[in-house]
Amino acid sequence: MPIPELEKSIIKGVIQKDKVVIDGIELDGTWNSFMIERTQTGYDPSVWDEIANTLEGVTISACWQCGTCTSGCTMREYDPKYGPRRFIDLARKGDKQGLIELQNSIWRCVSCQKCTHRCPKGVLVEEVVHAIHNYLLRHGLVSTDPGTVFDELFFETVMNNGGRISELMLGAASVKKGMVKMGLKDLITMTGPLLRSGLFKELMKPSKVKNWEKIREVIEEAMKEEVRPE
Amino acid sequence: MSAQVPYGKVALYPGCALDGMAKQYEVSLALVAKDLGLTYERLDDYNCCGALEVKNVNTMAGLLLPARNLALARKIGADAIMSACPGCHYSLSRAQYYLSKYPKLREKVNAYLEKMGEIKYDLQLMTIHVNEFLYNSVGIEVIKSKVKRPLTGLKVAPYYGCLYTRPKPYTLTGYLRLKDDPERPVFMDKLLEALGAEVVPFEAKTMCCGGPHVYSDPDVSINLEARILKEARRNGAEILVVDCPLGGVAIESNMNKIAERYGEDLRMPVVYFTQLMAFAFGHSPEEAMLTANLTNPMSVLKRYL
Ligand code: SF4
Ligand code: SF4
Repeated sequence: MPIPELEKSIIKGVIQKDKVVIDGIELDGTWNSFMIERTQTGYDPSVWDEIANTLEGVTISACWQCGTCTSGCTMREYDPKYGPRRFIDLARKGDKQGLIELQNSIWRCVSCQKCTHRCPKGVLVEEVVHAIHNYLLRHGLVSTDPGTVFDELFFETVMNNGGRISELMLGAASVKKGMVKMGLKDLITMTGPLLRSGLFKELMKPSKVKNWEKIREVIEEAMKEEVRPE
Repeated sequence: MSAQVPYGKVALYPGCALDGMAKQYEVSLALVAKDLGLTYERLDDYNCCGALEVKNVNTMAGLLLPARNLALARKIGADAIMSACPGCHYSLSRAQYYLSKYPKLREKVNAYLEKMGEIKYDLQLMTIHVNEFLYNSVGIEVIKSKVKRPLTGLKVAPYYGCLYTRPKPYTLTGYLRLKDDPERPVFMDKLLEALGAEVVPFEAKTMCCGGPHVYSDPDVSINLEARILKEARRNGAEILVVDCPLGGVAIESNMNKIAERYGEDLRMPVVYFTQLMAFAFGHSPEEAMLTANLTNPMSVLKRYL
């Protein structure tokens, strides 16, 4: 299904012949150039369907592409390739290649919620961006990114430590994964007040939810369930 | 104490932050609430709300974690569930939104809650933040009347963070009178002014600190945090007052890196607004745990002792 691609350059290239003769008359100057195809094929309309069928992605269809989300986006200021409006546009067209090219950007949403808050159409933009990213991950189209690694680390920590986290445990785990470096100075700034106030011990051993093992089993069972927006 | 206008019975959802590096937030909140005659019941057996991370890993897990806490609050007959951490407030409000909107999903979630041995969640809670609770429950005059140590001349920059007001479909800001202005919140400003402090103009009030990516995209977070401090400095603030443990802890623990990269003048003490309230109400720095912060708020507060 060919759809005019509006965001990439419409002229994909120019064919320039050395010599063009039509009806015995030789053309010269720019008249001997021909543009090549103006449309891109190979879109996959199932991308939109699948995302619109997830709980987080259901509002994708309401977007009218005004760009309010992108114009106020926190991440956009750091990464000009980052843009929720564009992600939505590409996902709805089913331009997987376009999304894959943006894989180093799309995971970087800091969940500041400005976009969701301001969208005039009620699109839950932050959720939709994650739904699009999750689509790419689920289908193995992109490789894992630091944000996803951290999300999983966070979840694991909750599940394995009685339903709660502590900043120190999470920090230690992130340092171990090589995500951040902690210098001696940082360590001293961090631990000094914590030792003084006696918080340190508590932080390394957060108390557990009473019935956690049972709750954990139920959560693990529930995670297999497919959730639809209904 | 009887149930209070306008929230009825309030359950405090501590969340991991209050049992962790933001313990001083809860301790000082308890002092302030007691002084103001406000009551709430703490949910001791709470679990992590899932924050901004679990929802990205699995949809059901991202809803069940907060939903269990909502059910716990209803079990003790609460009408409102109060968070001190805007991240928790967001997460609980998000679950409330999805469960209200999608009946089949609610049935499923409730079935799992029952399997866990909890009660079904009946959607009857209002999700609130400590800031709203203190501002709406007693009125500014009462707060003024409790001040024993006026913070006259203290220049403060109130940092609310992203999730206290955003996004409005979840937090209902802008829809209810009990909620703050979504783009330009003022409740904390008013509370601080009641203590005698001078609130400086501060455009970074609800700017992002990069919280979810402090570990995974550290350079961006540090720059975002530096911007917040810079805006506070530019307007002459001496101290950053926060209602958000995510932002507070992130800014405090990155302070060395921020100063190294963007200048020593950005160094500034960070304090929870409830700590300042407790201090102004006459509690000692130790009682308000002002020495447990990673930065040193007493460096500017000692002149009020
Ligand atoms: S603000 Fe809403 S309607 Fe406008 S482009 Fe973004 S998602 Fe679409
Ligand atoms: S939540 Fe993500 S997409 Fe939305 S404005 Fe913030 S960084 Fe941008």
